[in-house]
Amino acid sequence: MNKKTVLIVDDSLTVRQQVSLTLKSAGYQIVEACDGREGVDALRAHAGIAMVLCDINMPCMNGLEFLETIKGEAAGPPIPVIMLTTEGSPDLITRAKRAGAKGWIVKPFQTDLLLAAVRRIAGEPG
Amino acid sequence: MPGDSQEARLSELLAQCTAELLAELGVRPERLTGGRQPPPTGESIAAFSGFGNDDLRGSFTLLGSSRLFARLHPLPPTVTPRDLTDWACELVNQSVGRFHNRLLAYGVKLAISVPQSALAEDLRLASSLQPARDFISFTVDGMVLEGWLELDTTPTFQLAESPLQGEGAALREGSIVLF
Repeated sequence: MNKKTVLIVDDSLTVRQQVSLTLKSAGYQIVEACDGREGVDALRAHAGIAMVLCDINMPCMNGLEFLETIKGEAAGPPIPVIMLTTEGSPDLITRAKRAGAKGWIVKPFQTDLLLAAVRRIAGEPG
Repeated sequence: MPGDSQEARLSELLAQCTAELLAELGVRPERLTGGRQPPPTGESIAAFSGFGNDDLRGSFTLLGSSRLFARLHPLPPTVTPRDLTDWACELVNQSVGRFHNRLLAYGVKLAISVPQSALAEDLRLASSLQPARDFISFTVDGMVLEGWLELDTTPTFQLAESPLQGEGAALREGSIVLF
C-alpha cells in the first residue's frame, strides 16, 4: 500500500529536517522544497502529494505567492496546505485563508500537535 | 539609541522574545547587562534579519560561536557547518517573528526580510558602529550569544504605552489553527 506523501516547503534546512523526522516516524513519505518556486515544481513533478506544509518568509517565492500560484493551477481538487511560519498576524492568516490555506501553525511547533494536524488534514499515512 | 525610551522599550521587547525562544529550546539563558561583552573568538556565526515599515526600520543580528549554535541546534549530534548557519538564520527569524507578533498588539506591522548568515573567524562589530547598536546579550551554558539591534524611527513614530484595544492579537507561538 502506498504511503501518503507530504510536501514540506521551507527555506530552513533544519525546519525541513525536524518536520521530516516527525512525519517519517509516523509513516508518511516526504518531499522537500526550499522555497515556493521549488514547491510549485515539486507539485508538478510528484503526483499524489496528499498535503503541503509551507513557510511564509522565503526567498524567490514566498508562501502566500506559492498558495496563490497553486490555486490558479489546480485542475482537480485543491491540495490542502497548512502554513508553518513564525508569523501570527491576523491579516496574513486571513489572506492565506482566502487563498485556500487549510490551517496555520506558528513556529516553534510541538511535534505531537503538528502530527495531529497533518493526520487531520491528510488522513492516516496509509 | 539605548537612551531613547521608546527605542529602549522596543529593545526590551525583542530581548524578551529572544529569551523566550531560547527557553523554549530547552536552555536557560541568562541576560547579560552592563554593556557589551567580549565577542566570541574562533569560529563564529552571525545571522541577521531586517524589518521595517514606513516609520520604523532596523535589523537584528545574533552572533555566537559555532559551539553555541551546535548547543542550541534541535537535531544534534549530526550537525555540519551548513546546518549551524541555517539554524542561526532560523533563530534570528523566529526572534524577529516573535517580536513582530508582540508589536502587532500595539498596531505596529512590519515586513521582515529573509534571514542571512555568515560563518567566519573572530567576528565582531566594528567599533565605529557600536554607538548605533543596542546590545542584547545572553549566556547559555557559559557561552555568549550576542544580539545587535539597529533601529531607526521617524519623528512621527509612536509606540503606544500598552497594547491597543481592538487590535487583532497575533496567534501565539506553538498555536495551531485549522480552517
